[in-house]
Amino acid sequence: MNFKIRAATKEDCKDISRMIMELAAYVKAPDQVKISHEELQGDGFCQNPFFECLVAEVPEEQKSKEGFTVVGYAFYFYTYSTWKGPTVYLEDLYVMPEFRGNGIGTGLLSKVAEVAKKKKQCVHLHLSVLDWNTPSRDFYAAKGAQDLTVTEGIHVLRFDGQNLDNLANEAPKD
Amino acid sequence: MDFSIRAANVEDCKDIARMIMELAEYEKMADHVKVTQRDLEQDGFSKNPFFHGIIAEVPEQHKTKEGHTKIGYALYFYSYSSFKGRAIYMEDLYVMPEFRGKGIGKALMSKVAQLGLAAGCNQLSFTVLDRNKSSLEFYLSQGCFDITANMGYHCMRCEGEALEHLAQP
Repeated sequence: MNFKIRAATKEDCKDISRMIMELAAYVKAPDQVKISHEELQGDGFCQNPFFECLVAEVPEEQKSKEGFTVVGYAFYFYTYSTWKGPTVYLEDLYVMPEFRGNGIGTGLLSKVAEVAKKKKQCVHLHLSVLDWNTPSRDFYAAKGAQDLTVTEGIHVLRFDGQNLDNLANEAPKD
Repeated sequence: MDFSIRAANVEDCKDIARMIMELAEYEKMADHVKVTQRDLEQDGFSKNPFFHGIIAEVPEQHKTKEGHTKIGYALYFYSYSSFKGRAIYMEDLYVMPEFRGKGIGKALMSKVAQLGLAAGCNQLSFTVLDRNKSSLEFYLSQGCFDITANMGYHCMRCEGEALEHLAQP
């Protein structure tokens, strides 16, 4: 199958939004998506973008049942390890089900690694995966990723909603 | 105890580098630290910094045996959730042992939360090692949610040869 990996443009945000919804359904969290394609445009294509995105495109003749040619995406941003230096976090990697098994996921992942290395000299690529998502865990393990939750006992903690507000309210006054 | 919290500046990098090593020693991983004071200066205080810092300072009369007045720090950067939007990630939170139990860690973390909210973030995330029971207890007592324990989130990392291989065009 012919496909091309390229940097996303503002105009791709509608497709990216669509695929974020599909990914949310896949990870059993369809009601968790709160941001719109307009927010993605604002946050990803401003002067200091919060993220970067790559999309995978197929030619017209291979478009999806519904007529889409943008069939996969990788969503990532630059992070920092105080021990190792610049790193990159892969927030999402998604390929529409009918296009899987053609190397598109690998293509997207590799491109993120290549771009991050070239642009920012990143030494680690991080991502999260849900423990029940065996196909994804196997995919990343096959690429040489280590599961730090298993090997080092790393847990991710989060403040959001009212808990985040409460925490912020306790900050010392300037 | 009197202490103040303020944004870190480039002159703080010597103390931040010192405390990064202390934190690594606390986590029994001191030989993993490759970042130097110079790296911090370049990476945190250039045009497009990778991170921002907050320092906790005590007055001269409370300085440590070695004469340090900068006795805690938090390091954070902006991140993004494709579901929820802008987010903030706290990479490190550390208070020197003799200054713990005085609300300094809480003040540092609260400041990160406040800055995050001001920037339009709706999540503050960070990691903790499961064997670090005292830190885990502290964070949970502040109202956060363990998404690894409760939702099965696993952190994965590609580095070294595996990353080199992936990055080949």
